Amino acid sequence: MVQYIVRRFLNLIPVWVGVLVITFLIMHLTPGDPARMVAGADAAPETVLEIRAQLGLDQPLLVQFTRYVGNVLRGDFGRSYHTGEPVLSEISWRYRNTGLLSVVSLCVATLIGVTAGGLAARYPYSLLDNVSMVIALIGISTPVFWLGLILMYVFGVQLGWLPTGGSGTWLHLILPSVTLGLAMAGIIARMTRSSLLEVIYLDYIRTARAYGFADNVVVYKYALRNAILPVLTIVGLQLGYSLAGAVLTETVFAWPGLGRLIVNSIFNRDYPMIQAGLLWVSVTFTLVNFAVDILYSLADPRIRYD
Amino acid sequence: MRLTVLLTLMLVVVSGVAGAQVLNVGVGADAVRLDPPDQTDNVSEIVLRHIMDGLVEFDEQLGIQPALATSWDVLNDGKTYCFYLRENVVFHDGTPFNAEAVKYNFDRILGGGLRRTSLYDPYIESVEVVDEYTVALHLFEPFGALLHHLAHGAGLIQSPAAIEQYGDRVGRNPVGTGPFVFERWVPGERIVLTANPTYWGGEPKISGLSFNIVPEEATRVFQLEAGESDVIFNVPPTDVARLERSNKVDVLIADSIRVIYGGMSTHKPPFDNVKVRQAFNYAIDQQLIVDYILEGFGTVTDSIIAPLTTGYYSTGGYPHDPERAKELLAEAGYPQGLTVNFWTPNGRYLKDYETSLVMQQMLAEAGINAELQIMEWGAYISAIFDVNAETAEAELYLLGWAPSTGDADWVLRPLFSSEHFPPLGDNASFYANPALDEAIRKAMTEPDPVKRNEYYQEGQQIIHDEAVMIPLHVLQQIVAKSSNVEGVKILPIEIVLLKDAYVK
Repeated sequence: MVQYIVRRFLNLIPVWVGVLVITFLIMHLTPGDPARMVAGADAAPETVLEIRAQLGLDQPLLVQFTRYVGNVLRGDFGRSYHTGEPVLSEISWRYRNTGLLSVVSLCVATLIGVTAGGLAARYPYSLLDNVSMVIALIGISTPVFWLGLILMYVFGVQLGWLPTGGSGTWLHLILPSVTLGLAMAGIIARMTRSSLLEVIYLDYIRTARAYGFADNVVVYKYALRNAILPVLTIVGLQLGYSLAGAVLTETVFAWPGLGRLIVNSIFNRDYPMIQAGLLWVSVTFTLVNFAVDILYSLADPRIRYD
Repeated sequence: MRLTVLLTLMLVVVSGVAGAQVLNVGVGADAVRLDPPDQTDNVSEIVLRHIMDGLVEFDEQLGIQPALATSWDVLNDGKTYCFYLRENVVFHDGTPFNAEAVKYNFDRILGGGLRRTSLYDPYIESVEVVDEYTVALHLFEPFGALLHHLAHGAGLIQSPAAIEQYGDRVGRNPVGTGPFVFERWVPGERIVLTANPTYWGGEPKISGLSFNIVPEEATRVFQLEAGESDVIFNVPPTDVARLERSNKVDVLIADSIRVIYGGMSTHKPPFDNVKVRQAFNYAIDQQLIVDYILEGFGTVTDSIIAPLTTGYYSTGGYPHDPERAKELLAEAGYPQGLTVNFWTPNGRYLKDYETSLVMQQMLAEAGINAELQIMEWGAYISAIFDVNAETAEAELYLLGWAPSTGDADWVLRPLFSSEHFPPLGDNASFYANPALDEAIRKAMTEPDPVKRNEYYQEGQQIIHDEAVMIPLHVLQQIVAKSSNVEGVKILPIEIVLLKDAYVK
């Protein structure tokens, strides 16, 4: 088991190196000049040239790349082209914000998704099942920004119960995490339902029922445990996805998160910020998947890795 | 005893609430750097203009008004500007404001390496402290737009002690003489300022300002309606009618000096022929674009210089006349019409892509086939400006220009003088005309405003006659505020000032 964990972990390293190289190349090969973006729309040409030299963008690509990799290995992600601030300090606090939003909305999503999926599987093809699956479908297909604006209008503007945007208190977290959570809950609900339905007709469940266990115990204790594996995968993927994919939610609710920072940095051609941001996201994403893999073997002792 | 304490506490709380009104301002982006000569973005400049003052400042018509300098003399045939400074002014950190402080600021800029150095170092040779409250700027040659450059956000004066103390972190620790004192900046979230009770211009009537970063425009509008914001910038035009019906909210609309225009590569066929360029001008119906695409949130212009920019002259423009356009094309050797490529951004300026689409239709009516291509902004400006006369591929393109100095010099010189071809300049029309160069040069080195205007009139007439570009419209700025907030000022250079704001 330990050997498996170590080997799985070592497998992650080439992925991170790949991300490092690919983000660097993609950014430098994309048309657009960071110096011009920094200098502003009506800048004098001398300013653009000077900034280009200051940022080291007049150096050959290979020199820029080796310098960048060397710095990253020493934990130095450089300074933002745009603000001149150290990238690490700009990213880390937004990373925390996004992490908070992702985790809370994932809890919302799992709670709603597993409950709805469980109920639907418990009473398959009933009215309850149909209604909750239609709602799940709506949840999956509703654009996040639209749902966000509607929730904001109802709870922020009309009822005045919750702040419409910004961050700072737990109240600020409710609307964005519900918005993001509802979108993810749909997928989780559908996955829980189908996975439970596969299990629920197996022999051991029938046996459990024959023993006279209560229906709830059968479904939620014995069936769910076996049905949870695919759900776990989806939850893990959703967490990784929401780290960078919460951009729309972050923008709508003025939540200062990583996704928004990365998108703005792309428009500004702020290379150090984009590279570091994407690296952090992919490291987190792969680590979450790694953790899910480990959880598999805990959830299902039959899974053995050699 | 306990009752007295309680009552006192309540009094403190109540009086605190009555006087302590912090104005919440919804802005669309975070500031980049709060270091005047090292910032180039709109939000940084707006925030800085509340923390610091310049020697002179703009009024709402872009006239030059005294600020830290109470008066000035132009000496030595326009080669020396002598400023008489306001006395007994201190920076927020206690450093006295005087001629030394002014010299320190400008020496720092002229030392180079800052993003706005080029606004000053081509013109200012040296800064001389005449006495405690008199400072002289010596120029290389007379420069007619100097006061406009000093009124620019890059000319705001900051505390020399703070620059020394914070070093390269000064952009996160701005210290000025202005009506508000910098308190804190939570990146991506808000910038908070508190009122300066000893401001030389009088204590502000609000206790502070919080610039809250709300990127989504619909959210900004909701926040205003929910009472979480008192003032919001860049209101989407689609919300204006609804907001105007509300009795809790007012919408303020003001002209900017941002001109949207169609640029043409005049050094290559077909645009090397003046008749073709005129034909394109005749083909476009600007009023229709303003009325139906911008829904009225713009003003038709007949010059690359907006009416509120110093030096504007009305040339009359080209009327919409597709038949005349066809005739001119035929005279130019294109009786069957012609095909050009037409580049456009999408989402950079209000309805830019929609404007281009409609222009494409209008050109088609005159027998011109414009092949429209959308590009992402960063790639777009690189493709237009990081090229030279040989490699430039754009033929027709849509751009906007607003001189942040509010003066004609920073329109005509970068965009049309022959020294400014890309990649070392912004004359992406690749237009060269000695008569125009001469007019621009004369206006630049003329200190007398009346004579400068005559040269600019000449320059704009040449650009009109030669149809160097297609002037389209001037964009408007839309700001909304809660009805109980007064004293919001909008400068045409896309700056909103809340120095005099108060709550009714």
